Amino acid sequence: MLPFQEQIISDLLEDPNGGLVVLSSGLSLPSLVASVLLLHHPSQGSLLILSASDSQKSAIVRSLRRLHHADSTPNPNPNSDPPLPSDIPGDLPSHHRTAIYSSGAALFVTPRILIADLLNSRVPPSAVAGLLVLNAHRLSDTSTEAFIARVFRSLSRSAPVRAFSDRPHAMVAGFAKAERILKCLFIRRLHLWPRFHVQVSADLEHNPPKVIDVRVPMTPAMKGIQTAVLEAMDACLKELRRTNKVDVEDLTVEKGLFKSFDEIVRRQLDPIWHTIGKKTKQLVSDLKTLRKLLDYLVRYDAVTYLKYLDTLRVSEGVRSVWIFADSSHKIFELAKKRVYQVVRADGLKISADGKSAPGKKRKANDDHKREKQRESGAALSNETDGGRVESNVGVVLDEVLEEAPKWKVLRELLEEIEEERRKETQSREGQLIVEDGRDNNNFVLVACKDERSCLQLEDCIFKGPNQVLREEWEKYLLGKAQLQGLRKRNRNRSQEPKGFGLLDGVVASGSSESTEPSSISKLENDALLAAASEISNLVKEVIDVGNDSRPQTRRKGSGKGRGKGKPNKVVAKVQVSGKKSEKPVENKIVDNASLEKGEQQGETDSVMKTQGETGAESLQGFQEVALKSSSDGKGVPRRQRQESATAEFTDAKPLPPVQFYALDSDQHILEVWKPSVIIVYHPDMTFVREIEIYKADNQSKNLKVYFLFYEDSTEVQKFDASIRRENAAFESLIRQKSLMMIPVDQDGRCIGPNASNEPQSAISQNSVTRKAGGIKPKEKEMQVIVDMREFMSSLPNVLHQKGMQIIPVTLEVGDYVLSPLICVERKSISDLFQSFASGRLYHQVETMVRYYRIPVLLIEFSQDKSFSLQSASEIGDDVSPTSIISKLSLLVLHFPRLRLVWSRSVHATAEIFASLKANQDEPDESKAIRVGVPSEDGIVEDDVRAENYNTSAVEFLRRLPGVTDSNYRALMDGCRNLAELALLPVERLAELMGSQKAARMLKEFLDAKCPTML
Amino acid sequence: SAIASAQNRNAILVSHRQRGNPLLKHIRNVRWAFADVVCDYLLGQSTCALYISLRYHLLHPDYLYYRIRELQKNFKLRVVLCHVDVEDVVKPLLEVTRTAMLHDCTLLCGWSLEECGRYLETIKVYENKPADSIREQMDTDYLSRLTHALTTVRHVNKTDVVTLGSAFGSLSHIMDASMEDLARCPGIGERKVKRLYDTFHEPFKRVS
Repeated sequence: MLPFQEQIISDLLEDPNGGLVVLSSGLSLPSLVASVLLLHHPSQGSLLILSASDSQKSAIVRSLRRLHHADSTPNPNPNSDPPLPSDIPGDLPSHHRTAIYSSGAALFVTPRILIADLLNSRVPPSAVAGLLVLNAHRLSDTSTEAFIARVFRSLSRSAPVRAFSDRPHAMVAGFAKAERILKCLFIRRLHLWPRFHVQVSADLEHNPPKVIDVRVPMTPAMKGIQTAVLEAMDACLKELRRTNKVDVEDLTVEKGLFKSFDEIVRRQLDPIWHTIGKKTKQLVSDLKTLRKLLDYLVRYDAVTYLKYLDTLRVSEGVRSVWIFADSSHKIFELAKKRVYQVVRADGLKISADGKSAPGKKRKANDDHKREKQRESGAALSNETDGGRVESNVGVVLDEVLEEAPKWKVLRELLEEIEEERRKETQSREGQLIVEDGRDNNNFVLVACKDERSCLQLEDCIFKGPNQVLREEWEKYLLGKAQLQGLRKRNRNRSQEPKGFGLLDGVVASGSSESTEPSSISKLENDALLAAASEISNLVKEVIDVGNDSRPQTRRKGSGKGRGKGKPNKVVAKVQVSGKKSEKPVENKIVDNASLEKGEQQGETDSVMKTQGETGAESLQGFQEVALKSSSDGKGVPRRQRQESATAEFTDAKPLPPVQFYALDSDQHILEVWKPSVIIVYHPDMTFVREIEIYKADNQSKNLKVYFLFYEDSTEVQKFDASIRRENAAFESLIRQKSLMMIPVDQDGRCIGPNASNEPQSAISQNSVTRKAGGIKPKEKEMQVIVDMREFMSSLPNVLHQKGMQIIPVTLEVGDYVLSPLICVERKSISDLFQSFASGRLYHQVETMVRYYRIPVLLIEFSQDKSFSLQSASEIGDDVSPTSIISKLSLLVLHFPRLRLVWSRSVHATAEIFASLKANQDEPDESKAIRVGVPSEDGIVEDDVRAENYNTSAVEFLRRLPGVTDSNYRALMDGCRNLAELALLPVERLAELMGSQKAARMLKEFLDAKCPTML
Repeated sequence: SAIASAQNRNAILVSHRQRGNPLLKHIRNVRWAFADVVCDYLLGQSTCALYISLRYHLLHPDYLYYRIRELQKNFKLRVVLCHVDVEDVVKPLLEVTRTAMLHDCTLLCGWSLEECGRYLETIKVYENKPADSIREQMDTDYLSRLTHALTTVRHVNKTDVVTLGSAFGSLSHIMDASMEDLARCPGIGERKVKRLYDTFHEPFKRVS
């Protein structure tokens, strides 16, 4: 623990009511939580940890182990585990849960389970020592956590509620958000710990790691794409500004680089969403797409990037605005050029004219090309038979396969590191052999954004970049070829010219291609397909022969079948590019640049690793355990290769052992792996902080950090902006803190938002005026039975605020039961549209009408969105079956007994419920549970459905063709999971589904070849 | 008069009370005629509608109640068509909702006269239409079916469906893919990989 971390903890523990800690991202929130847990003792009661994500949970457990072992040096049994917090499994019978709650341990609980247990009084109030709420930035006064805090406070007045967040920018995302969060958790203290806090920076900058900043220039094509995307973004933003619907100040390209930009725009547009045109909506989603394109430009290799663009064109080609802009034409052109160029067989480039003519004139351009092609065909017709040349040999693909500049730099860095190390060991040879401990962690840690980049970089280093790109390229072409074959089969008309027999009949003749809706010109497409079919032939051959896997050698043998120009060409090209990669790169290397600002000086030559070696052995044993535990199954990015693996890569200089780490996986591995050299391949603010903490925790370690940036790229811009943004967020929080007004009751506890200013319903107002003196009569509490699944929404919370008693149960029919007669199905607007489309609503209403006298469909609008189903412009001139009006009318016509309730907001709903219940009996819990439960299912356990079923798998299953309401249960009984279902033979399926036809339908769909349309 | 009654069967019959209501201008897709009817709009043999604007309700809070009482029990479907034409809706809408509900009426809300008119037209036109279009049904082409199924997994979008389809070739291969293979697909991040994988590999029933 660093001094500032200890300070945070002691500040937080000082107030018996608890508090909210907001700290910079990356300042090891998990270890803070872990140390709070360490201080907890079972005799105080159990400690409930709310809303922790899976990665947070494992990080907390890991740091708990680490802190425990660091603490317990005199401990006779250093391998013993501290009491680790455990999950409360949802499928546990309820009375078992009560026992767990009173066990005094620390527990991870999901809010949905906890609130149900609190309401059912399965949590003994005295047994809970306190609440820890993670991700506090997600809270609002209608969220379940707030509900929990309120119920909890009413049960036990003394236990502390402690909340944490490491997303300061999310804490300022609304009006006085921090203050409202404090109020809804009934706490008063806000602790702010920015990175620029004096104590934090003193601790972290006391002995900073050695930092080397490597700026890699982007290739011209990449730069071109980047400018084009930025242009397109700018154009979209300008267009958006012109609509006059949004606040201009927030809309800058810089903000556009972040995800939160969408939120800013949506928050502004949501209240008027129905009034804005299609075009504006499209602009908003286009901006999102463009942001992804920028991000992927520096993350993906050239071929994958092109593939992604192709996919985009298919999935949203028609609708997007940006795809038709001039600059986006440039994006596609350049992305293509990074991969291949179209060249005439005689070596002249013809793609040149593709550049000069913009997309609009494509048709004319095509004609032009066809002419050229005819010429070339005539020129070559001597050596090959006439017609074929025209479509195939006239044009040849010239593979460019530009590799990402960082790849080469990464390799050079690794070589350099290894060389340095050798020198060092040589020079130390004469001295004492001291440092045995060093050997087990002398690998280089490479941190990239995602798992995918990890895999690819690994391949790059061990197979060579050419090989990697070539594989991607082959996959790309194969995809095209398969598709082509598929289309052919689908068409199945005999328009294929006979007798040519070229290329296994895979390449279509030109004429059959003319209908294809694609922006790649026909010729180019043919050339691509030719290359594709060549490769697919290769693959076939390889399968036949079954020999090893060097593509270069295979290539030669297969060249026979086709025109002469190409295979040679390919090989030549590869050699050239291979040579190129051996030239040294010119990249600026800035020594000793600092991590964050520039206040870093001098490296520390403390090579000695004296202290800390005492417990080395025990530490090591533990380390292995930790690694094992963290790597079970779930794709934890841990792979270490020895140098021997590089043997395949010829003429390579020796490399140090390398480990890859995906930042996305959120594993906090630094303390576990203890690397001494880190290469940050994709810069990320949070990870930088983690490195700082790691260094500060391990003062004696000689840590070297390399940063790889693309020069002048949005990558750098984004990194800088993320720091600026966080600082700004903290400044705003500091200002808010100084102005905060939080009412406090006599016990020094904060008073919640609903205690005083709750809007009173019409009815209770009346009753107050009628009864003299405003004395509240001792009324019986109103009861509402609520389905477990509804605890995802905030309505139960608001109903409870209004003083109703909430009874959580699992309902088969409806969401809320207000009385023995009234049953309510609640739909938010998006739900309404969705469940109309899926037909689920019809089904739900059908059963509700069957079992209840007064079935109610509640249509609930959201307070901050517009109060209407559609904008006036969407109504149209005719009665159209797709309109929401038609659907509602149809529903009403078919269920005349169904009552509709239109509610402006959750709060309005609560009032409506109260008013509907006014003259009704209270609902019967045990009866409500039994309603609509199919008898063959037996008794439904009083438990949360989502915990018992893999709901997304069940929903997925039900949407497959052939699967119906009547047979899906049998399918679920017949196999364990979907993966298993995919492998069942059709006979078995027929047995389970009770129908040959349905089984065949399902099987055919599962095995159908996917028409990708790339 | 036989001809007239046949015509009337295909038309909305409008009460004389509604004379001058600008709503009538928006009934264009169906013929309508004035007639002596108890309700405001007679939309079918056993279907009728009353019209109320929230503004009017605020001035005459009892109006709706008396109109509903007049209807007696002659209709199967009794619609209260509410024109939402005030800013502060919560209180008046609550009262209208309550009245409609207590007296067995179905409440429909329109935010413009056009929308209200469209409800009347639609209910008349759809008088004998089966409910097929709101029952469960399938788009028949492969991709939309695949999209329909795969998008049950949270945050998987159309682009991802195309990506997955082209990477694995068929749905059964997608369902059988390893985490690593899923992670190799462009645009599919850690979280989506995990969600997809869990959907396919976690058992349907978590408890045996």
